[in-house]
Amino acid sequence: MPGLSVLLAVVVFPLGYALLTSFYDYTLIKPTYDNFIGLGNYRGMLEEAYLGTSLWVTLKFVIASVVIEFSLGMAVAVAMNAVTRFKSFYYIILLAPLLINPVVVGLMWRMLLHSELGIVNYVIGLGGIAPINWLGNPKTAFWTVVLVDIWHQISFMVILLLAGLSSLPREPYEAARMDGASPRLCFIHITLPLMRPVIFIALLLRFIFAIKTFDIIYIMTKGGPGVATDLISYFIYRAAFFGLDIGRASAMSVALLILILALTSYLYRYMRSFK
Amino acid sequence: MRRVVSAILPHIVLIVFCSIILVPLLWLLRVALTNKLQAYQIPPEWSIPHIRNFVEIFTVHPFSDYFLNSVTVAIGSTLVALPLAALMAYSFARYNTGGLPLRLVTLSSQMLPPVILVLPLFNLFLKTSLLNTLPGLIIAHVTISLPFLAWLLVSFFEGDIILLEQAARIDGATRLQAILHVTLPVAAPGMLAAGLLSFILSWNEFLFALILGGAQASTLPVGLSSFQTHRGVEIALLSAAAICAVLPVFFLLPFMRRHLIRGLSLGALK
Amino acid sequence: MLKRLFLVVTVFLLIGGLVQAESIRLLMESVPDTRYIQELLPQFKAETGIDVDMEVISYIDMHSKLVPQLISPKGSYDAIVVDFYWVGEFTKAGWLMPLDDLVKRDNFDTGVYVPKLIELVGRVDNNLYMLPFYNYSMAIIYRKDMLEDPKEQAAFKAKYDMDLEIPKTWDEYWKQVEFFSRDTNNDGKTDMFGTVIQGQRGDCISMQWSNYLYALGGQYNDSNWNPTLNSAAGVAALTAYREALQKFSPPGSESYCFDEGFNVLAQGKAFSLQTFNIMFAGFEDPESSKVVGKVAITPNPGGGLNGAWGWAIPKSSPNKEAAWKFLKWVESYEIAKKRALLGGAPTQTKIFVDPDVVAARSYYPILGEILAGAQQFPVFTYTTQLVEEMGRELNLAATGEKDIKEALDASAEAFRKLLIKDGKLSK
Repeated sequence: MPGLSVLLAVVVFPLGYALLTSFYDYTLIKPTYDNFIGLGNYRGMLEEAYLGTSLWVTLKFVIASVVIEFSLGMAVAVAMNAVTRFKSFYYIILLAPLLINPVVVGLMWRMLLHSELGIVNYVIGLGGIAPINWLGNPKTAFWTVVLVDIWHQISFMVILLLAGLSSLPREPYEAARMDGASPRLCFIHITLPLMRPVIFIALLLRFIFAIKTFDIIYIMTKGGPGVATDLISYFIYRAAFFGLDIGRASAMSVALLILILALTSYLYRYMRSFK
Repeated sequence: MRRVVSAILPHIVLIVFCSIILVPLLWLLRVALTNKLQAYQIPPEWSIPHIRNFVEIFTVHPFSDYFLNSVTVAIGSTLVALPLAALMAYSFARYNTGGLPLRLVTLSSQMLPPVILVLPLFNLFLKTSLLNTLPGLIIAHVTISLPFLAWLLVSFFEGDIILLEQAARIDGATRLQAILHVTLPVAAPGMLAAGLLSFILSWNEFLFALILGGAQASTLPVGLSSFQTHRGVEIALLSAAAICAVLPVFFLLPFMRRHLIRGLSLGALK
Repeated sequence: MLKRLFLVVTVFLLIGGLVQAESIRLLMESVPDTRYIQELLPQFKAETGIDVDMEVISYIDMHSKLVPQLISPKGSYDAIVVDFYWVGEFTKAGWLMPLDDLVKRDNFDTGVYVPKLIELVGRVDNNLYMLPFYNYSMAIIYRKDMLEDPKEQAAFKAKYDMDLEIPKTWDEYWKQVEFFSRDTNNDGKTDMFGTVIQGQRGDCISMQWSNYLYALGGQYNDSNWNPTLNSAAGVAALTAYREALQKFSPPGSESYCFDEGFNVLAQGKAFSLQTFNIMFAGFEDPESSKVVGKVAITPNPGGGLNGAWGWAIPKSSPNKEAAWKFLKWVESYEIAKKRALLGGAPTQTKIFVDPDVVAARSYYPILGEILAGAQQFPVFTYTTQLVEEMGRELNLAATGEKDIKEALDASAEAFRKLLIKDGKLSK
């Protein structure tokens, strides 16, 4: 199959390169493969002070954003599927955030959430709430980043789920309606099971994209305040471009990859087992 | 009464949702029509809007280049990636080629941070003179979207579709006819969603465009980022550019809408 | 007949080939000078016939873009600009072409540059690698209308028994910062701030805090590269910084960077801040500032942080000779002066006091002063990494999540490790 060979080429080449580089002392100062250091990079990585914190923050971020995006996204997708009028109007608005690229999203929200001069604090002030330190307080900053990510990416989930919902067959619903089932029962016992493959994919893709979240952090917080928003992709980026150590960054990426693969196959088996 | 509520409820949900999305964007539009001073003025003052920012991004900055490049690369990479991904997805769904391991490997290159992926690609492009070219960027974006699309489409090629296709085969159709007349139409919403996803991935992609592109091949994300100057963010220009980047899609979508609706509702039909 | 045609065509092609414009590609960042140079480019073309293709990207993307270009044997850019952060890195990796031979050959006078700038973005270990292009050393920008207000002066004298004038010492400045932080509408919250802390983790906090360090007499390292930033002066500096953050600066300053800080002062909500001198022009622009005509600039007591970009010719440059021609042209006195008149940030000593320039921009002599007293951040191979790690520690201390001494010790330790890695310190 031609598709297969292209895919393999596209996938294996960078993977192999990353794997290979992770075993060498390959820095931007001396980009040569002369210095084989085996697991040296991996060992060094474990000594990195804030790696554990970064992984933990990433985990929290991914779970928070995926869970919220899925729940809200499903609600919106169901609503979209149920209406007939104004559908295109809603659809267009839905698409808008996805078309705004992450750099602009980050800068826009930085402007809106400026603690002294931002319109958001002004508006909530009108409602009597004290101004919130959106990006300066470590705890708030984490949730701010989650919320911005949700604002930006939820439509992705909605589109996928909507595509799945709209390709569901009508019969089971008609049968259930005749049996007198309520909409909620229909949803739980018909929609969700039928949607399983689509839900799995949506969750998986969103999960992977969430782990790769980079631009929002880069633009809005640079991993701060402190280490509250230090996502792993930004961590690795710093190792590569500030620390100039591509070997180390490759090792971290490979380790991350193995972690994700493990989680993914677990999720896959789990979902398959429901059949 | 119940019927009225259940008819209105989805609309309420959607209206709330759309407002949350729309309001910040409307504010962005407001900033685009004023200047940096007004953007940060609290309490906000309202003045006569002007379109100077919109003019400036076209005259002083090559906005139209950025936009056209982005459109070209996004559409190009989608057109290349979608068929390839469909082939892959079909083979996964039908023959379970390689089983779970292969499917996981497919996605694994995308689990690496883009930083790691960009350097080998850069070296490759350097040797093949693909740097700073639009075809080069298209190929680079295909490498990103192909794994995702393949995975995405697999779920649309599984399930009841198999039964439908087999039913068509039993009725005497060849495999190709079955695919063309049964499988593809039923999977159409998925294909559309996948195409949309691929377009969006490419549209927003930044790192590859930065490193592998150049003056002749710069896309919107790179161009918009350059509004962050050493003297601060030129927020008014940035807002104008962001609005311009999104607006054309709003005009295009009503046309696409007809096809989208057909695709979305065909799936529900039998 | 055919032969003659063939000859004519060949001659045409040859002439066409000779006459074909040489062209060079530059990678520049989006600073105002870039635009001014773009305006002056037709003059270069007229003088030398070389086309200049300028690619402009934002400064935060520059490093990522440059590095792959520099590693490869043949890059796409003939000349580039290098931020002082990367001087150590680029020269250690051997990516830049030394310019000494060209300078000697063409009798280019490097003495025209402010000495501190040649040190920062010019010479490395006795070789000249760059020509200073653009300076952005830090200074204090303040509201002179508030200083000159007789009511304020009287109140200040009453409170501190000191005259309210342009701050020359840190003590003076600190008192002014305290004095001007106030609650002007009696709602219980400070809304006028003495200063604006730009404390975002990483680059922003490291740059601004450096000024505090220098003002309190500290240094990053001694002449043997031993880290000294965790000395008593360092602790005093970080303590003051945290106090400013908590008492005299808007809430949320922990996440501010230079743009946010600019906007607070520009909206008239602050008295002063330490920032890049190039931001000054922004305050004078009615499109972004409410305080036009009300601000002035003065050197940071103890010396402000020096910052600059330099022109360089990478070893991977396809056309080094043409690039050098461009460098000589753009840094000639005539062009540098034109850039300054348009509003650029000069690097040559004489320009700051050139009568035409001073007439157009009266604060330029002060800029000259600022540059003369500027302090240099440690420039070595891993400067960027140091800024990053120190930036994290400083931010943790500033938000109160980490003890000040601990944070400084951690930064000094990180600094030491990087110096050892670079070979500047022995284990």
